[in-house]
This record gives sequence, C-alpha cells and structure tokens, in this order.
Amino acid sequence: MTEMNKRRLQEETLVAFLIENRERLYRLAFSYVKNQDDALDVVQQSIYKALSARAALVQPESLRSWVFRIVVTTAYDLLRQKRRLQPVGDEILQLHQPVGEDVPADFDLERVLDSMDPKYKSVIVLRYFEDLKIEEVAEVLQENVNTVKTRLYKALAMLRLQKDELALTEEERS
Amino acid sequence: MNRRLAELKKKYEETPIPEELDNVVMNAVRNRKQHVLRSRRLLAAAAAVILGFGLSVNISPALARALYDVPVIGRLARVITLREYRFETEKYRADIVVPGIESSEATELADRLNAKYLEEGRELYAKFMAEMEEMKQTGDGHLAVSSGYIVKTDNEQILSVGRWVVTAMGSASEEIRYDTIDKQNQLVITLPMLFKDDDYIDIISENIKAQMREQMAEEGKTYWLPETTDYSDWAFDTIAPDQAFYITDDGKLVISFDEAVVAPAYMGVVEFTIPTEVIADELVSDEYIH
Repeated sequence: MTEMNKRRLQEETLVAFLIENRERLYRLAFSYVKNQDDALDVVQQSIYKALSARAALVQPESLRSWVFRIVVTTAYDLLRQKRRLQPVGDEILQLHQPVGEDVPADFDLERVLDSMDPKYKSVIVLRYFEDLKIEEVAEVLQENVNTVKTRLYKALAMLRLQKDELALTEEERS
Repeated sequence: MNRRLAELKKKYEETPIPEELDNVVMNAVRNRKQHVLRSRRLLAAAAAVILGFGLSVNISPALARALYDVPVIGRLARVITLREYRFETEKYRADIVVPGIESSEATELADRLNAKYLEEGRELYAKFMAEMEEMKQTGDGHLAVSSGYIVKTDNEQILSVGRWVVTAMGSASEEIRYDTIDKQNQLVITLPMLFKDDDYIDIISENIKAQMREQMAEEGKTYWLPETTDYSDWAFDTIAPDQAFYITDDGKLVISFDEAVVAPAYMGVVEFTIPTEVIADELVSDEYIH
C-alpha cells in the first residue's frame, strides 16, 4: 500500500469513527462545558483538529483514546478561555474531609461532579461513564497510570463514594 | 458499580443531544474534505461547466464537441477497484467495493467521478457502522452490506458503470446507480439531456407499462400496475426524470428500477430496454442512442 493510500484509508477510518461516535463526543464535551453551544463548538473544533492532525495518529487501535484526548483538551481550552472554571468553594473543600458514615439525603452528586476540577471530573467520566480502562484513561489524559488511580480515589472521595462500596477491580485497588 | 454512581452515569448518558449535532459534525467533516478536494484540484471549473451544461440544456453531442476542446478520456480508460472496505463479525458484515476510473491521462472527469465514488463508499461504510452500533444497543439482528460495480458498456464512445448496493437486514434489498460517460466529449450523460423536452418521461413510462403487461401475459411475471395491485400508491406510474439508465454497446437505452420498486422483491433489480423507434422523435440526436 502506498503512503498516499495509507493516509487516505486512515482519514476515512477517522471520518467514519467521528461520524459514528458523534453523540459520545458531544456528551463528553458537554460534561465539561455544560452548555449546548459550547459543547457543539468543542465537537466541531475537535473534528477539525483530528482531521488536520491525523498524521500524528500512528496506531489505529488507539483511535478512540486519541480522539477523546482531543475532545478533552479542546474542552479544557475553552473553559480556560472563558475563565469559567468555578473556584473551589467551601462546600467542595468540606468534601475533602474524612467521609462520614451517613450521607445526607439531599447530597447532590451531580452538582458536586459538575463543580469538580476538570482533572478529577475527567477520571470519573472516562472511567465510569465512558467505561474506559485505567490505562486508556491515562492515555487520554496523558498521565501515568498511578496518577490516574490517585485522582480516581480523590474524585470518589469528593463524591463521598467509599471505595469499599465500589465494585473496583483488584487492578484498581492495588 | 455503586448505585449512586450508576445513577450519575445514567444522567450522563441521558445528556440531551441537540438536533444541530448531525449538521455540525457533517459540516465539520465535509468542510475539511472540500478543502482537501480543492487542494487536489478535483473540482476544477471545466468539470463544473460541463456538468452544469449537461443539466441545463439539451446540448447536442456535436455542439459539445465543438464547444469543448478537451482531451478525450481515451480508449485506455477502464474501470478498476479503487478501494475496498471489509468488516466481519458473526452478526455484522460489510463488503464494500468502490470502483474507480483509470484513465491513460489524468482527467478532471475521472477525478470527479472517482471522488464521488469514494464519497459514496465512505458514506455507505459510515452508515453501516452507525446502524451496527444501533443494533448492538438493542442486542439482536444481523446486518450485511455489500456493494460493487458492473461495467455495462465499454466501447470507443460510451462507458456505462453501475454501482450496486445490497443491504441485508432481515430481508435484502438491492439498489443500483449508473453513470454513463461519453468518453470522447468527457461528459456524463444524463437522461434529460438526451431528449428535446420532458415528453420522454411519459413516452418511456407508457412503453414500460406495455412491456410489463406483455411479460405478465406471456411469461407469468408480476409487476405492480394499477390493475394488479390493491394499493394504488404502489403501482408504477412514471419514471423519474433522472431515472437510473444506461446505454448498451449497440446504442439502446435501458431503464433500471431498484428492487421492489415496480415488482415484487424476489425479482430483484428490474430493467427495460426501450425500443429506439419509440423514442426516436424525442431524441436530440442519434449519436448515443440508435
């Protein structure tokens, strides 16, 4: 296969992936920017980036991680540009404190998740909502596996979800 | 997974998807593509002019030849397999073969058609992948998509290429599209441009109905005509102005219908050769059809 054909095939695979996964990409983008227009913006920009940078993609099997990474970084950039990152308030700080036995009934997990630092939110979204493996989460976030595990525990603590409650795999416990 | 985390996940999955998403995605993908096309000069002005002319006037082939001093696509032009997409699991299978026109010299016409065929192949594959994902969600069903091409005519003057698609999901359906190319004048022949005015639509339609009745009487075939179907909506009425067609090696016009459009599905794609004397008065010239 010539270099040209290989590149065309890669582009076609990528386009098919983008079209096929458009709703996933949108949901992922939305989980950061939290409004429709910005999320559509992120999806659009991510597609442009992916299509113009496809040379950087070497292994087709990492296509998903690679595209997710573009969406996540594009969403981060947009949040930064808009200076919309919510400052960490008292409410969230309290969540870092040791977790009590009982959880108040009105404890709004969704709100907590939304107000989390994106780097903690990312691990929850990617690991539990998008069902990526820890290794893949690390690939998307360009962090090493241990950093991802540490963040995952912190994030779960913020959500007051004790690790015992979770069906964590041995791999994640270690 | 923890119950409350599962609830969060459910909310995440229920993120409302705006209607605009499809457009945003398709435009983003397409804009990029147009950019690529432009840079490869695939949509050069000459090709656009030829196409525009073909659609707008009943231009005679002789006039076309006089107007355009263009290099001929050449006798060496032939149809090749440009690309194949294959995907196979137990339940889902795609086997998409994209034709391409290979010419002795690079021509805008061949480039334009090849770009169109690639786009069709790509879209078909993307559609297959999307449908497969959808079917995986509901957890059952089989899906098989195959496509390929057939060269109906390839002589000094005419190249007729058909691209067929068979989709099997429960039952199968077959569709076929043709491009008929005037090699010497480098233009894609459309059905309307062959005729002086729109009268061809009725004349051809009536001839096809007559052929249907004859075949039903003599060969025991079934077609959907007003007298044979209880559902008048289904009965064949007229061809589309741009109905699928090709031109045979000996210059006969053949009209094609997709599976289940004018006849029961088991008959597959159906074709009718229109006797030239029936349409002779309507033709702009006897150059292509005689």
